[in-house]
Amino acid sequence: MPQTLAERFSLKRFKQGSPTQKSFVVLNLRRVYILPNRAGLTLAAVIVFMLVASINYSNSMGFVFTFLLASATQVSTFFSFRNLSGIEVHGLKCAPCFLGQNTSASFIVKETEGRDRWGIVATIDGQQLSIAHLKPHQSYPINLPVLPSQRGWYSPNTLTLSSVFPFAVFRAWSPLLFAQKLLVYPRPLSFNQTIPSLPAALTNSSITSPSTGADDFSGFKTYQPGDPYRQINWKAWAAEKGLFSKQFSSQQSAQVWLDWHACSSANTEAKLSELCQWALTAEKAQLRYGLRLPSKLIPPANGDAHLQHCLQTLALFNLPADA
Amino acid sequence: MLKSRLNITLMRLLLGIASLLVLPHIGTLNPLFIVISLALIAWSAFVHFFNRFSPSTWVLLPLSLLLAFLVLKLHGMSLGREASSSFLLVLLGLKLLECRRQRDVLAVIFVSFFVLITPFLFEQTIALALYGLCLFFLLLCALVVNASSSTAIRPAVVAGFATQIGLLAIPLMLIGFLLFPRMIGPLWAMPKDASNAVSGISDSINPGQISHLALSNETAFRVRFNDASPAFNELYWRGPVFWQTDGQQWTVSLNATRRETANDLSPVNTLYRYSLVLEAHHQRWLYSLDTPIASPDQVRLTQDNQLLLKDKLRRTRSFDLLSNTQAAPEILTDKDRLRALALPQNTDQRVYQLAARWQVDADSDIAVINKGLAHFNQEDFYYTLTPPRLGVDPVADFLFSTKRGFCGHYATSFAVVLRAANIPTRLVAGYQGGVYNPVGEFWEVRQADAHVWVEAWLAGRGWVRFDPTAAIAPNRIQHSIDFNNQRLGGEVRFLIEPSEGFSNWALQFTSLLQAIDYYWESGFLAYGPEVQRDFLSSLGIDGWEQMVLWLAVLSGGLILMVTLFLYRLGVRKVDPSQAAYLAFCKKLGRRFTYKKPAETSLHYFTRIAALKPDLALALQQIRQQYLLSRYAKTDVRKLLALIRSFRF
Repeated sequence: MPQTLAERFSLKRFKQGSPTQKSFVVLNLRRVYILPNRAGLTLAAVIVFMLVASINYSNSMGFVFTFLLASATQVSTFFSFRNLSGIEVHGLKCAPCFLGQNTSASFIVKETEGRDRWGIVATIDGQQLSIAHLKPHQSYPINLPVLPSQRGWYSPNTLTLSSVFPFAVFRAWSPLLFAQKLLVYPRPLSFNQTIPSLPAALTNSSITSPSTGADDFSGFKTYQPGDPYRQINWKAWAAEKGLFSKQFSSQQSAQVWLDWHACSSANTEAKLSELCQWALTAEKAQLRYGLRLPSKLIPPANGDAHLQHCLQTLALFNLPADA
Repeated sequence: MLKSRLNITLMRLLLGIASLLVLPHIGTLNPLFIVISLALIAWSAFVHFFNRFSPSTWVLLPLSLLLAFLVLKLHGMSLGREASSSFLLVLLGLKLLECRRQRDVLAVIFVSFFVLITPFLFEQTIALALYGLCLFFLLLCALVVNASSSTAIRPAVVAGFATQIGLLAIPLMLIGFLLFPRMIGPLWAMPKDASNAVSGISDSINPGQISHLALSNETAFRVRFNDASPAFNELYWRGPVFWQTDGQQWTVSLNATRRETANDLSPVNTLYRYSLVLEAHHQRWLYSLDTPIASPDQVRLTQDNQLLLKDKLRRTRSFDLLSNTQAAPEILTDKDRLRALALPQNTDQRVYQLAARWQVDADSDIAVINKGLAHFNQEDFYYTLTPPRLGVDPVADFLFSTKRGFCGHYATSFAVVLRAANIPTRLVAGYQGGVYNPVGEFWEVRQADAHVWVEAWLAGRGWVRFDPTAAIAPNRIQHSIDFNNQRLGGEVRFLIEPSEGFSNWALQFTSLLQAIDYYWESGFLAYGPEVQRDFLSSLGIDGWEQMVLWLAVLSGGLILMVTLFLYRLGVRKVDPSQAAYLAFCKKLGRRFTYKKPAETSLHYFTRIAALKPDLALALQQIRQQYLLSRYAKTDVRKLLALIRSFRF
């Protein structure tokens, strides 16, 4: 993507990187920056001292070694650059997560030029991961923990690949800003593994026929995508009769509406948390559940896809559409 | 704890480098600091390998202060080259001892780089330079190991990086070395210790002075004649001229006036042009073939034919000189005549009696002088490097009792007697002879060739050189002293016959080594402000502004070139099958219709097939082969063959 003049001259480029729409980038002269680090400045001071001593004693060998050291340091920048250039970095799709849950941004760092790379450090938001040695043509997965601060779509911050190889006096770095997006669901009331019961009022009002036992087998129906795997009649599948799901009477009857207005809390975020928790509980309890929000209605169903649909709706509730 | 944090290989490397850095200082620095720094290195080796006796900050801090104080105390509270070298060595040891993190490792390496150049403040031999290069290479390796922060990096890989970087740094280093403007004189007052222990002729001469030089094989200077060399017995290298004596010793007068007129009456066939590379001797005078008739820039040619610098020569320098062995006579002012006749009050009466004896029957000054030379030749005088000690009146003692001495004895006593005979006389110190190096085609003049002779004023002839030593030991003037066969107390030996067999080979080998050393000194070590100015102005670079400009342009250009080279490397190579396909599409485009950027091969070829239905089959084949070689990575040559056989 061509950059505007303002973008080209903005100092932000060197820290945040220019955003890319591609799924991977190759580090090259345009993307790798290099500056002396603190040790480099110290070395510069040492070189100046050596130069002063050589001048003072008019010492030819002193000049030789002073200039040799300075030149070697200068030449080392090319090797710093070569240590990063030609590396491919792929931004991977990130799995959705709940707010407050630790998740990670995932990348793959790939050596493509058949050279050994040494001492590369990947950083996001101060979280570091170092790749001491990247072998020729090796792909190295990177998972760096990120902590989203609010629900909705979250873009991980700039990934910075850096290296001080070969002399540790220059730091070469490449800031990479991928268009990766991570869906953050609202924070559930608790991450407790035990299933808290649904609010009594909600359950009672919604269950249509509580007479049949919860786990009574009631027959087969043809498999539809979204049906839980554990209800598939594997025996029939093995006998090559086709894919059928087992039906249980309670499932048909236990239908709940997760209603915005039934929430106990007043605050929007808290309500979303509550609805999120109910959805998880209902899914665990294998109920059929629907979601009723002020702006949207999701008819009752169950299964993984349904749960994710509900959670996504909750996550993006009342957020600007472009995010 | 300590071991896990720091790479043990790296520590081993650093300790090794540190020990190797101390070695060249043995013999130059105070042994105390050599011992201290080696002890500190041994201590840190103990700490790092056995993880014991690790010093706490409360030990290290007072220890550092104590050692720093000790260094200053033992060097008279001044930071000259010995003090700073000792200081850096101790600092290196202490820094190794507290080496705990990566940051400390870098500090140790940086200090090591500084320590690396300190031995060169004392001597700059080729051997030491090679040693320094090896250590420099090891230090680069240490930097690489430290930066890789991986124990997986193999020594060969580390050495590979260090070699590549070191070799690539050489052109840039040369640019800096040649173009960085050299300044004349030190930035601050030169620490006194830099002139310690320099052998050579000093600014005062007493009879026994020169003999200690005869045992020194050090090079004083080297001379390369532009054309033929003069005969060996013409090789008198003139240095300081001595007019005053107090009976014990002669002292030089360096405030002599400049010689006004050029010596145009000299014959041309005895004119010699030559370049002379003079080792730093920490004196103001230059040596030149007797008699110098022109002076280079910023050198003064005095009335008594001395070449004088403004300041003491503190580094090896090269001079282009012009001399004439048969220079035209000068004038002698009355004042100078008095100076050249002055004798101390307490001169022994026997000296006057001897002078009177020489004057009997002599009708001219030259007859007196010849009689004097004959006296030395016929009487019981001996040429020896180990003369007996002389008393309060060295001249009389030598002339009338010991009669054993070296050139210093003969010249001083001869001059005194001539003055007593009323002949204006002065003493010239310098060197005589030299060893010709056939490999490098230059004369090497060593300290062992140091010599003193007499100049006497003869009416009508001017100042004429007389060498009483030649009367005693003619070989001394015909041949150089054979340093290798010289024994203290033994006979003085001269290089008379070329040796045979192995010894001859050894001699040739020595010539070769000395020739290398000559080029090293004249081409490299002598590269100072003056040589730089002359060299660069011959390339059209004048003044320091232009030097800085060229320095920036050349080094910047070099860096840019490498960057462009890297950029070319970085351009991604297009897949060959894709390149062939795109070239084919371009050809089709020129003929029929161009491929749209977003168009796939299927769409594009279908479009063309609609225009030219007879091409459809061939296009279909090409498309299939393209997809195969692009995505299934089959042989690209099939595709190329298909494209070649395609007929429009």
